[in-house]
Amino acid sequence: MRRAAHGDTVGRSFSDVGSTPTASTSFFMRRRDYCSRALLIATLLAPLPAAAQGGSVTFEFRGNAVSVPRVGTRVEVVPILKLLGAEAAYSPAAGTYGVQFGDHMIQFAPDQRHVLVDDQLEEVADAPVASPGGVAVSVEFLERVLLSPLGFHLENESEGYRIVEGARFPDVVGVRAAAADFGATTTLVITLSRVAKAEVREDSPGTAVVHFADATPQLDTTFPLRSRRVRAVTARKQDLDISLTDGVAVLSWHGLEAPSRIILEVGKRPPTPTPAPLLPQRRRAMPLVVIDPGHGGEDTGAESAVGMAEKDLTLAVAERLAKDLLARGYAVRLTRDGDQTRALTDRTALANRLDATVFVSLHANASRATSARGAETYYMSLDKASDEDAAAAARLENAAHGADSNGDSKLDLILWDMAQAEILNESARLALDVQQQLNTLLNLPDRGVKQAPFVVLKGATMPAVLVEVGFLSNAREAKQLADSGYQQRLAAAIASGIEGFLRSAP
Amino acid sequence: MNRRVGLIAVALASLVVILYLVLRSGGGGGGEAVAPGVLPTPTPAPEQKVMLLFLGRDGLLHPELHMVSLPAETDERVRAVVHEILAGPTGPLLPVVPYEAQLLDVFIDADGHAFVDLSPPDHRLEGSNTELVLAYGIVDSILLNCPDLVGVQILFGGHEVPTLTGHLDLSAPLGLNKGLIAAS
Repeated sequence: MRRAAHGDTVGRSFSDVGSTPTASTSFFMRRRDYCSRALLIATLLAPLPAAAQGGSVTFEFRGNAVSVPRVGTRVEVVPILKLLGAEAAYSPAAGTYGVQFGDHMIQFAPDQRHVLVDDQLEEVADAPVASPGGVAVSVEFLERVLLSPLGFHLENESEGYRIVEGARFPDVVGVRAAAADFGATTTLVITLSRVAKAEVREDSPGTAVVHFADATPQLDTTFPLRSRRVRAVTARKQDLDISLTDGVAVLSWHGLEAPSRIILEVGKRPPTPTPAPLLPQRRRAMPLVVIDPGHGGEDTGAESAVGMAEKDLTLAVAERLAKDLLARGYAVRLTRDGDQTRALTDRTALANRLDATVFVSLHANASRATSARGAETYYMSLDKASDEDAAAAARLENAAHGADSNGDSKLDLILWDMAQAEILNESARLALDVQQQLNTLLNLPDRGVKQAPFVVLKGATMPAVLVEVGFLSNAREAKQLADSGYQQRLAAAIASGIEGFLRSAP
Repeated sequence: MNRRVGLIAVALASLVVILYLVLRSGGGGGGEAVAPGVLPTPTPAPEQKVMLLFLGRDGLLHPELHMVSLPAETDERVRAVVHEILAGPTGPLLPVVPYEAQLLDVFIDADGHAFVDLSPPDHRLEGSNTELVLAYGIVDSILLNCPDLVGVQILFGGHEVPTLTGHLDLSAPLGLNKGLIAAS
C-alpha cells in the first residue's frame, strides 16, 4: 500500500489519498458531475467515426496505427494496448486481463464491472465483453479505465482516434475543508468524497495549492471555516487554493484514508537555526516501548508441526527485543513476562496507562497455505462502522456536556478525527520502518504493511503495530523460527525499525 | 330529484352486488382458467460471472470467476455469494473457510450491513492468516458483488463473536479490505 509519510515536504505527490468501499465502488457511478458526464458521453459514445461503420476503427499513436475490429459498440482492445507499448496478458487461472505500463497495473475481466486500477477497486458502467480477439471494451472504458491512468486521452480523427499524451479527467470530487487552531500550528483537514490523486505545493508566499491530477474539486461551502491562520479555501479548475495569513506556510502534509482526506499542518516557519555552541545536552526522558508477546497461558496460539507454540515463540522474541531496546537506551515493558493469560484489551490498556511511546504486539502466523512465508506488519484500520461508532460516541459525549449539536460537536468530531488520524499515520510509519528492517536484515519476501482491525490494537493512544514474525505453518520457516540465532536477528530487526521510527519522530 | 337519487342508489347497489359475485367466482370471469395444483414456473435469476476470493498458496486472497444465478434482492445475492464461497474454488486455489461450514442465515440492516450467520467451526482454528482470510474472503467477496452494502459481520451459530483466533475484531461489521487481495 502506498501512502504519504508524515512530515512529507510540500510538493511531494501521493496517489493513495485513501479508499473506502463506498468511495471506491462509486468511482464512476455516483457523485459525479452529470454535465461533464453528458459531455464526455457525447464526445466518446457518439457514433463511432465513419471508418468504424465498416467494422473496424483505427487508432493512431506517435505515427503508428492499428485498425481494430468493432464488436457491437465496443472495440477489440488488446491491439490498442500493444500499440501503446503496454503489456497486456490474459490469466486463465484468474479469468482476468492484466495490463502493465511502467508502474501502472490494471486488471479487468469480461462481464465484470469491477476493475482494479493501480490497486484501487473501481466500478464502471459498461463491462468489457469477451470477443473473437480476446476482449472488447467501449471507447469510454478505453479512455477512462485504460488510457487515463496511463496518462493518455483520445482525440477524434476522421479515420478513428488518435491517442494523445495527457489524461482527460472530467470527474468531480466533493471537497470539504475544516480547520482547527492549536498553539503554534493549525491543522487543515480536506475531506474528499472519493479517492483522488493530489499533491500540495506553495505557488507564492501565503498561498498553498492542492492540485488534483485526476479530478475537479467541488467545494462544500456550507461548512464554515474558522481559523487564525487559514483565510479561505477556494476551488479553481483542478486546484484548491488555500489562502494563508501573513507569515504562515505549509509545514507538512500527508494523505489518509477511510475517509479519503488530506491533512495539512500550517504555521509560521521556524527561523533557520544557527549552529549552537557545544554544551552538555539535557537528558530527555527515555521513550517507552511496550512489547506484547501474543497469546499466553491457556491461549497457546498457533502451533508448528513439531509442536512449537506461538505463545512460547512470541515470548522468546519479546525478551530478546526488550534486551536489544534497553541496550539502545529505551525503556521497555512487557505485557507478560511468563506463561500468563492476558485479555487482549488489558494489553493495550497497560500501554495507555503507562503512556507508552509505542506499542508492539508480536505474533507468529499460521495458514492453510503451507507454502506462505515471511513477516508482515499490521496497523489498525478504521472501518466505516468503527468511524460511525466513534462519531456516535462523540455525539453522546457532546450531548452529555450540553454542547451545541451543530457547532461544538462538529469541532469535537474534527478534533477526534485528527487525533485518530495522527495515531494512524504514525502507526503506518512505524509499521513501514519495522517491515523494512525485517525484509532487509532477514532477507525475507516482502509481504508488506497491511491494515486490519485487530482487537489488540483497538484503543491504543500511541503508534501501535502487530508484527507477524513468520509462518509456523511453513515447515522450513517454523524451523528457522525455533532457532535462537534467528530469533535474535528477528529481535534486532524489529528493534532497528522501532529505533528508526523513534529517531525520526517529530 | 328524489327519484334520480333513488335510481343512482339502486345502480350503485347493483354494481356492488355484481362486483361481489365476480370476485367470488374467481375474479376472472373470462380469464384463463388455471388447473388446480399447477403453479406458474418462476423465472430463474440470470446467470452472471461473479468475482469470488479464495486463498492462494502465498497466503493472500486471489480472485476466481464463477457463473452464478444472481438474484436482484440483496439478501439473496449475499446467500448466492456465500454459498459459492462455501462450495469452494474450482481451480488451484484453496477454500477460505477451513471447515465444512453451513450458511445458517443472512439478514441486512437499514444501514447497509449484511449479517452472515455460519455454523461454528468443529475444531479449533489458529493463526491470524486463517482468521483474516476467512473473514475477508467472505466480506470482500460479498461487497464486491453487492455494491449497495457497506459492511459485513460474520456470526457463528447465531452469535456475535469478539474474535475467532484471538486477532481480528469480529464484533462489528467489516468493510472492504483490498490489502489482503493479491496484487496480480
